[in-house]
Amino acid sequence: MSVRVQPELRNQLIQFGIGDWNACYHCGTCTAQCPLSEEGFLFPRKKIRLMQMGLKNELEASVEPWLCYYCGDCSTSCPRDANPGELMMSLRRYLTSIYDWTGMSKKFYTSELWELGFIIAFAALVVLSFLIVLPSMGYHFTRELTAEGGVQVNAFAPIHVVETFDWTMAAIVASLLISNILRMYYKIIWKYGNMKVSIWVHIREFWLLILNFTVQPKFNKCDDKRYWLSHWFLMSGYTIMFIVIVVYLPWFQTEKILPVWHPQRLLGYYATFGLLFGLFVAIIGRIQRKDIKFLFSHISDWLFLAMLTLTAITGILIHIFRITGMPVATYISYIAHMSVLVPMILIEVPFSKWSHLAYRPFAVYFQQLKKYAVPR
Amino acid sequence: MEEPRIGVYVCWCGTNISKMVDVEAVTKEVSTLPSVVLSKNYKYMCSDPGQDLIIKDIKSHNLNRVVVAACSPRLHELTFRNACEKAGINPYLFEMANIREQDSWVHTDRTEATKKAIDLVIAAIRRVRYHESLQKRSVNVDPSTLIIGGGISGMTAALEIANAGKKVFLIEKADHLGGQVARFDLTFPHLSSAQQMIGPMIQRVENHPMINVYLNTELKEVKGYIGNFTARLQFMGVEQPEITFGNIIAAVGLKPFDPSVIEEYSYGKFPDVITSLEFEDKLRAGRILTKYGKEPRNVAIIHCVGSRNKKYHEYCSRVCCMVALKFVHEIRAALPDANIFEIYADMRAYGKGHEEFYAMTTHKQIIFLMYDQQKRLPVISEAHRDDDCNMLIEMNELLSGIDIEVPVDMVILMVNMEAHDNVKEVVRAIGVSLCGNQFFIEKHPKLDPVATTTGGVYIVGTCQGPKDIPDSVAQAKAAAARILGTIAQGSVAVEVTTAVVNESLCCGCQTCISVCPYTALSYDEIKKASVVNEVLCKGCGTCGGCCPAGAITSKHFTDRQILSEIEGIMSMSY
Repeated sequence: MSVRVQPELRNQLIQFGIGDWNACYHCGTCTAQCPLSEEGFLFPRKKIRLMQMGLKNELEASVEPWLCYYCGDCSTSCPRDANPGELMMSLRRYLTSIYDWTGMSKKFYTSELWELGFIIAFAALVVLSFLIVLPSMGYHFTRELTAEGGVQVNAFAPIHVVETFDWTMAAIVASLLISNILRMYYKIIWKYGNMKVSIWVHIREFWLLILNFTVQPKFNKCDDKRYWLSHWFLMSGYTIMFIVIVVYLPWFQTEKILPVWHPQRLLGYYATFGLLFGLFVAIIGRIQRKDIKFLFSHISDWLFLAMLTLTAITGILIHIFRITGMPVATYISYIAHMSVLVPMILIEVPFSKWSHLAYRPFAVYFQQLKKYAVPR
Repeated sequence: MEEPRIGVYVCWCGTNISKMVDVEAVTKEVSTLPSVVLSKNYKYMCSDPGQDLIIKDIKSHNLNRVVVAACSPRLHELTFRNACEKAGINPYLFEMANIREQDSWVHTDRTEATKKAIDLVIAAIRRVRYHESLQKRSVNVDPSTLIIGGGISGMTAALEIANAGKKVFLIEKADHLGGQVARFDLTFPHLSSAQQMIGPMIQRVENHPMINVYLNTELKEVKGYIGNFTARLQFMGVEQPEITFGNIIAAVGLKPFDPSVIEEYSYGKFPDVITSLEFEDKLRAGRILTKYGKEPRNVAIIHCVGSRNKKYHEYCSRVCCMVALKFVHEIRAALPDANIFEIYADMRAYGKGHEEFYAMTTHKQIIFLMYDQQKRLPVISEAHRDDDCNMLIEMNELLSGIDIEVPVDMVILMVNMEAHDNVKEVVRAIGVSLCGNQFFIEKHPKLDPVATTTGGVYIVGTCQGPKDIPDSVAQAKAAAARILGTIAQGSVAVEVTTAVVNESLCCGCQTCISVCPYTALSYDEIKKASVVNEVLCKGCGTCGGCCPAGAITSKHFTDRQILSEIEGIMSMSY
């Protein structure tokens, strides 16, 4: 059964950042030198071919874009300057929008107006909650709350309210991600892959998912190891912070200022360092544009970095104002922190760049499943 | 016959011969043979001192035959013949033994190689005894030229010769000049207009005082030889007065392949499957429309139609890839939103500016789809009722390995260039040979690409093989320069070693006439015997070989000479 060529698909793909999609003349140099490309999962050339011909179903069933960690060697060695690395990056954006059943991802990737609009709307909701909703629930700004030297975070932002909100947000994000991952599984393994994998294989290979989530061994296969390191710091810093804030908020958001060596503070400092280091490498790289992997920046790349940086900075400010005993400054920083954090998590994690935290390890897992698959 | 006095010279060729052949031993061995007056060896016989040695010996020892054992006669036969002539003996009383290419270079055993060298020299000595003096001849050249074909090649050659003040007869079968180029819209890779190029050229040719243009005219017969041809022409079936000329240029061009024989493409069945030339017609008319008068939304261009496929033609037509890319530019300009598919087998961008043109075209938003010419051709079929296109092309896309289906409204077939099948009369009349693909064969593929083995007959342009405009024009100018050279000289030397018919032995069977590749033989009704035109004869010996009566001998290759040579080679028994 032959598949229909869909030239119109390229107009869609271009919105996801695909530049000169036709420069490639299929010499295969990129695939030959890629340390991650392997028999049965060859890329980037084959994926570029699918893109050029607009074979939508075959693209949607591709796991390969997620197996690429964008070291950029393919783009450097390309004799036609077709930038295969960036084409793979654009494909990841496109696939993110394909997995997402709500259609929001596509809106955010293809329209800056939508993305910025939602960020601002979420931020405004957060500010409003602090100024109107919380007071209406009986948490008023009393004289003691704003008195010099007496920072009472838990009175300003009551733990159980924030915690409930955190859990709700996490639940929304998780349910979106899980449903999208199921769609990803359906497209890669079931629908177009036309394969059957036993339950036992699913269980046996599950460790790969955890391994790839925590240490990204595939990323480390790229020739340049520096980015693996900076990415790992960023990732581990963020994950620690996320777990601490959502799961252990009462342990973390304490009224009492604990000593510096207390794990609460040490963990916080590590997470902050990890975030800042990773962000520094990425931002400097994207500004300098010396390394080929940072040559092209989609608007979504910058928005993600900007929001993460703002989250980190406002988080640091809360900490500084709190230990120096400046209540009003602390509360304002807290509101600012939440008004960046909330849209970032609600938009970036399920719908945009940050969703890769789930898709990448799952892709490695699905790749492994495909290896043990039998035709259905 | 005077008593032969033979001088033998063995060359060392530096170490080329001497390292594998004992030159001294050869010299000594042959020195005692009958009629050998002297036998010498020298480091480089072809050098000036080497030649002087021969000249001096001829004079002082009164030699009348010379044998040089050295390299191939292709290289230095003329050198030594000239030396003999300088010394006052006929150059044909010379014979060369090839002990380099046929001996020292190809053997590894010095003793055996030396023995072989002795055999070869003895053979030459035996042969040269029977050599006869032959006289060089030349013929005057008529300054007019006949050019067959009024395409871009023929017209270029005509203008070149006419601008030098020499008469040209330009005959064209069609009712207009311009050939295939007149059908093109733009040319590659500069996208300049073919019309603006060919139009003024036709005008210049038609108005040139030194060019006689014969439209609707066919060549019926050519008689004569280099420098002195006559031809019969036919204008719309009516015989014309005979014309005379000294040289001929064949520029008959070629024709587009008829794709209706390729079932897969359904050419002739679907009205919107058209050939590249039919598409040129649409471009010149300025509108790209389907049969139903609509602008096509999907246009496919299929490459290599009839080319590079053993079923049709094995050769590559060379220009179609670039023409197809040119089409992309023209389609994109006319239909900015159309989907354009280039269905190709290999992209060949060999010429100046072609690779750049190819790279530039990839930015025109086209989709390249590769198919395997040897395995499976794309198949064009009617679209389903609910499709928003007219036709579908099914193919195995080679770069992805996926079986795909391409929606199309118009398909352009990049047809192969094939030889005319109706130029047999021209071929016969001017005596050119055809290769397996029915293209005219040049004298030497590299060193003499516009001449033929028939003196005074040149081939230019696509009748020699598929080529683009610049190559055709270059060939036309090259042939024109060659012809102007012979006209300037006024005369040309002709072959001396021709065939001779002994009329009293000839039985009149005319076998020789049917085998002669140069139309040099004819039958004399009065003498009842074959006659050789010595100007046309190249001395190939075919006629002599097939003459049942033994009536034909080839000068310089008589039975006596050849048998003596064989006797010589067999005479030593080691």
